[in-house]
Parts: sequence; structure tokens; C-alpha cells
Amino acid sequence: MIPRTAPRVVLVTGKGGVGKTTVAVALALRYAERGLSTVLVETAGAELVPGIFGVEGQGYTPTLVAPGLWTLRLTPEEAIEDYVVQQVRFRRLYSMVFKNRVMGPFIDAVPGLHDAVQLGKIFDLYRESLGGRPRWDRIVVDAPATGHGLTMLGSARALMDLTRAGPLHDGVKQVQDVIGDPQRTGVLLVTLPESLPVNETIELGARLGESRALLRGVVLNSAVSAPVTAGELRLVEAGLSTLPGGEEVARLAARRLRQVAAQEGAAARLQAALSVPTVTLPDLRWGDAPIDRLGAAELSNLGGLLPLAELGL
Amino acid sequence: MSAKVVICCGSGGVGKTSLSAALALRLAHGGARVAVLTIDPARRLADSLGVGAIGNEPVAVPMPGPGSLDALMLDARHTFDALVRRFAADAAAAERVLANRYYQFASTRLGGSHEYMAMERLLELAQSGRYDVVVLDTPPTRHALDFLRAPERMSGLMDQGVLRWLVMPAGAGGWRALEVGSDVVSRVLKTLLGEGTVSEIAEFFEAFRGLGEGMRQRSLSVQALLRAPGTRFLLVSSPSAASRAEALHFLSVLRAEGMPFGGFLINRVAVPPRELVVGDLVAACAAEVQPEVTAAIGLRLRGLCAQHGRLAAAHQRAIQTLRSAGPAGAPCWEVPEQDEELLELTGLSGLSPHLPDADALWGAGSSAR
Repeated sequence: MIPRTAPRVVLVTGKGGVGKTTVAVALALRYAERGLSTVLVETAGAELVPGIFGVEGQGYTPTLVAPGLWTLRLTPEEAIEDYVVQQVRFRRLYSMVFKNRVMGPFIDAVPGLHDAVQLGKIFDLYRESLGGRPRWDRIVVDAPATGHGLTMLGSARALMDLTRAGPLHDGVKQVQDVIGDPQRTGVLLVTLPESLPVNETIELGARLGESRALLRGVVLNSAVSAPVTAGELRLVEAGLSTLPGGEEVARLAARRLRQVAAQEGAAARLQAALSVPTVTLPDLRWGDAPIDRLGAAELSNLGGLLPLAELGL
Repeated sequence: MSAKVVICCGSGGVGKTSLSAALALRLAHGGARVAVLTIDPARRLADSLGVGAIGNEPVAVPMPGPGSLDALMLDARHTFDALVRRFAADAAAAERVLANRYYQFASTRLGGSHEYMAMERLLELAQSGRYDVVVLDTPPTRHALDFLRAPERMSGLMDQGVLRWLVMPAGAGGWRALEVGSDVVSRVLKTLLGEGTVSEIAEFFEAFRGLGEGMRQRSLSVQALLRAPGTRFLLVSSPSAASRAEALHFLSVLRAEGMPFGGFLINRVAVPPRELVVGDLVAACAAEVQPEVTAAIGLRLRGLCAQHGRLAAAHQRAIQTLRSAGPAGAPCWEVPEQDEELLELTGLSGLSPHLPDADALWGAGSSAR
């Protein structure tokens, strides 16, 4: 059962190259436009968010990039420093112990610590308050690519199992109570409407384990539309093949038709396998904006296409 | 003598696994004995090579001679266990490590253990004498640093200094390695981790102690292999902004680490179609279709061509940006967007004409054999 309360934390994840950042930004803009105080947390790969909003860069503390929308960049190194300084209270102690040549590899080797401290920062944002109410109405996380997104999601639990007791254990338990709670955290999976990515998403759904309850929906990103119907293509095919380069045009059109058919099949298979809503978003490459230059305006339009109520977000 | 090595790097979703397999196939068709190792948990390699399943042991891909192709998928836990058994002083010491809870976490759930084991497996294959070339498909570049530095990091961890420090009680010289007061360090660690965890980790290191030197040597061999004259790093990218940014990031890492860059492999490059003249189409179809019907369809088809033309132009701009960021004169191979159906017919060998052969990778006459 999907709880109907919208979670305040939304993790957007999926394999690399499927448009996670695009979807995360679109969702965050949609929230901000609805008057919700929103922070977008970028964790994955290359830093894309500043380019979208035309700002210089982003730091570990939130930067205002659009009305109601702040962004921040979360790196494990800064998150660890933040956590340790919170715990031991003295920055100098942190530097002495953790910037130490001997200590570095040791800290690197604590399983799941990198991921868990990043979750910890998300938890801090969740807890942050301003004037007696939560500072952030929505925390949208552009999570690492799936294998890793799942690792991150499970990291607090893994670290709890490892530590069994002690202050770190208690700390991560608090985090897990928020991140593992479907009322407070939701996961949006992004994939492409093609057969292989959809198969992988279905496999991933099966591996979600106890995180399964967090899943709110799947976004099929970069869907295309066909300029002609199969019947229309058949009508002109013979004539087309007599023109120079005509066969290539026929192949392009036929490919589009196949893609559209595959898209429909993919959505149906996903829905059957995961029983969560699937949402199809158009491929923005085919619009008038040159690729690689998507800005806030295009992504805001894209965000408008997300059926928030249906997704329970 | 060690085999030549090709390491395909790039962000996720650029078709790295397929291209790695296609490249391995191409080199095998050229007469070399090739192994392709994937660590992509997506398990797609078996599908694209037409073999049932791929596991930790080599599976021969059916192909006509003279070369041969074996495919493998990394099993990190299995590889790690084998490494422990190999370097432990005796069976009992190996079992102590394998049974340690911290080891079990480290070998399966520790970020970076996959990368470390991929390097280990690569070394095994390269030194086995069974192959002329080993092609490695790597995890997405978010782990680029992890993956290149994993062996180094692990050897740093196994460094006797750390071990001594961790397993020796405070006051016996161990804490001194940190050059801060022992009371401070122990207070910080206990505050952070709790006393129980600290002692469990110490047990792990104690059990691992005997393995340290062997594993450190192994790491050094991996580092040497990654920088060997027969090693090539290929950056696989699609012409999209995100994967391009990752490719550039990776390039800077390679440069900083002094690892040999072999060139760019750009996947799914759009090919511009010829412009469609609607009047010509109307004339060509005049015998069978009403002119206005053809004209309406033709207009929409022309729009489709224009879209593809714009995309192809954008791709070329993107590729230029990427190349200009790379070393001058670095080779660049473009793999055109493939028709999925066509690819099913020809299989991965359909990509061969677009991929480098042994001469292109290692210079003319440097037969991969």
C-alpha cells in the first residue's frame, strides 16, 4: 500500500545516463513553484545543476538558485567532516585525527561510512527548523546511479548491523528511522523506455528488499513520438525508396514507430512487475532547444508533466 | 609475459559493456586470444555475446578461428576469498580472516571492494599466459577514483604502520604513529564508533596481519600493470553533456595518475539524413497515392529528418568539445547510432567497422599476438 502523505524526502535514482538529474531538477522546480521550500541535493557524478541554473557553483551549504529552490552539492568528504565535527565538537580535533596520513585509509575502510554520512546530511536537512517549523518542505536528492543508489539507501542499515551498539549505531538508527520510513521518504526510479533499461529496472525492483515500500513510481524518461503512423509509412514507402537517401528516411521513421511501440510495452511491463505508477516524460532533445543546453525553463515545463498526486509525492 | 590490456571507462548508460564486448570480439577476429571481463552487475554481457551465462570462470564465446574470446564476470567475494587463501600463512589463518564479520562486510559491501577485486582479477588474467589481450569493462566513472586507486588504498590500509597502530594498545608505541596524544585519539574514536566497534576492527586487522605483505606486493603489480606500455585506457562516452563531463573528469584522473590514454570511443553518434524534398516524394508516389496525402506525410517526414539533422550537428559540436579537451591528436572512434533490429541480426560484430583494431591501439605491426 502506498501511503498517501507526500514524503518530505524524495530520492531520485536510476542507472547513469537516463536523466536522473533532469528529473530531480524538474521535480524540485515543481515543488518550489507550488510554494514549497525546497532543497535539491546533488550527489552523483559530474556537477550538472549549476549549469542548468547558470550559477557559478554550489557548495556544501544550500545556495538559492530559483524562487523557493536551493541546491547543494554533497560529497562524502565534507559529510564526514561535518559529522565528526558535530560529534567531537572541535574542528581542530577533526583535523588532527582525520587529516592524518595514518587515519585516512582507516576511515575509508569503514564499510558504508561514506554513504551513511551522506544520508546523515540529508537527515540533518530533514530535521533543520526555522521559526518553529521545518526549514525544508521538500528535500529532493539526485542520488547516485542505481547500484550505488541502492547501496546508499541501505548504508544506514548496513552500518547499524555492523556496529550493533555505540554512538555511531544510535546515530545511524536515527537516520534509518527517517530514510527507511515510507511516510517520510519516497524513491522515484528513472529509466529509459527501452527493453534493456526496463528489464534492469524490473530486476532492480526485485532487489529493493525492505526499501521496496519507499518506491513511489517509475519515470520513463526521454520518450519519443512518431511523426507518421505505420499505415502512412507503408503508403509512401515504395516511392520513398526511389529517392536518394529515401531508404534512410524510411528506416528512421520505422525506428520511431518501433520505439513508440516498445515504449508502450515497457510501461505496461513495469506497471505489472512493480505495481507502482509509471510516468512517461518526453525526450527534450527533439524540441527546439539544442541538446546539452537545457535550462531551468525547459525543466520547469517538464516538471509540470509529473502527476504528483498520482505518485503520492 | 603479461597480456596487453584495454580498459574501457565511462559513465553509465553509454553502452560501455556492449562496446567492450564488441571490441574484444573485433580483436579476437583479428587473431588474438582475448578475454573480456565485466564488472557491470547489469549482467548484459551474456545477452549481447549470445552465451547462456557468464560467471567468475571464463566462458568461451563460440566464434570461427583463428582467434578466441573468453568472457567473464567478476565475482568480487569469490576473488577476495581466493586472495586471502593465497596469502594467508596457513589454512587456519585464512579461515580466521574469512570468518571475521568485518571481513565479510568489507569484501561484499565495502564501497571500492568491487573495484579492488576487478583490478586483482585483471592482473590474474593478464598474467595467466592464456591471453594476448584482456579487455576490462569498468563500473561507471563515479567510482573512477576508487577503481584506479583501490589497490593503492588497500595497500595503504595494509601498511604495517596502520596495523601496528590499530592492534597495539595505547602506550605501547602504537598511538604514537598519529603524532597526537593517545588519550585524544582513543576518545575521538570511541566517541565516534563506540568501544565495541573499535575492538572488532582491531581484531580484523590482527587477523589480516599475516596477509599484509603479499597483498601489498600484489597491489604494486596492479599499479605497474595499469601503467604498462601495453595498457590502453579508452574513454567511452555518448555525445551527451553528462557523459562528456564525466569523460573529461576521468581524463584528468588518468593524467594525474600517469596512466596511458588510448583514445575516445564515442557511442551512439547520430548520422544526419539527407534532406527530404516533399515535391519529389509526391512525384515518386503519384501513381499510387493522392498528392495531398503524400504531401502531408512528406512534411512530417521532412520534420523528422530535420530533427535528426539538428541532433547530428549537436553531436558533432559535442565531440569537438570533447576532443579539444583531450591530448592533441588523440584518436577518436565514432560508433553511429545503431538500428536495434539491425544489431540483432549482425550481433556485436556489426560494430566492428567502427572500432579500433590491434594496429590502431598499439601501432602498426604490433600484432596483438
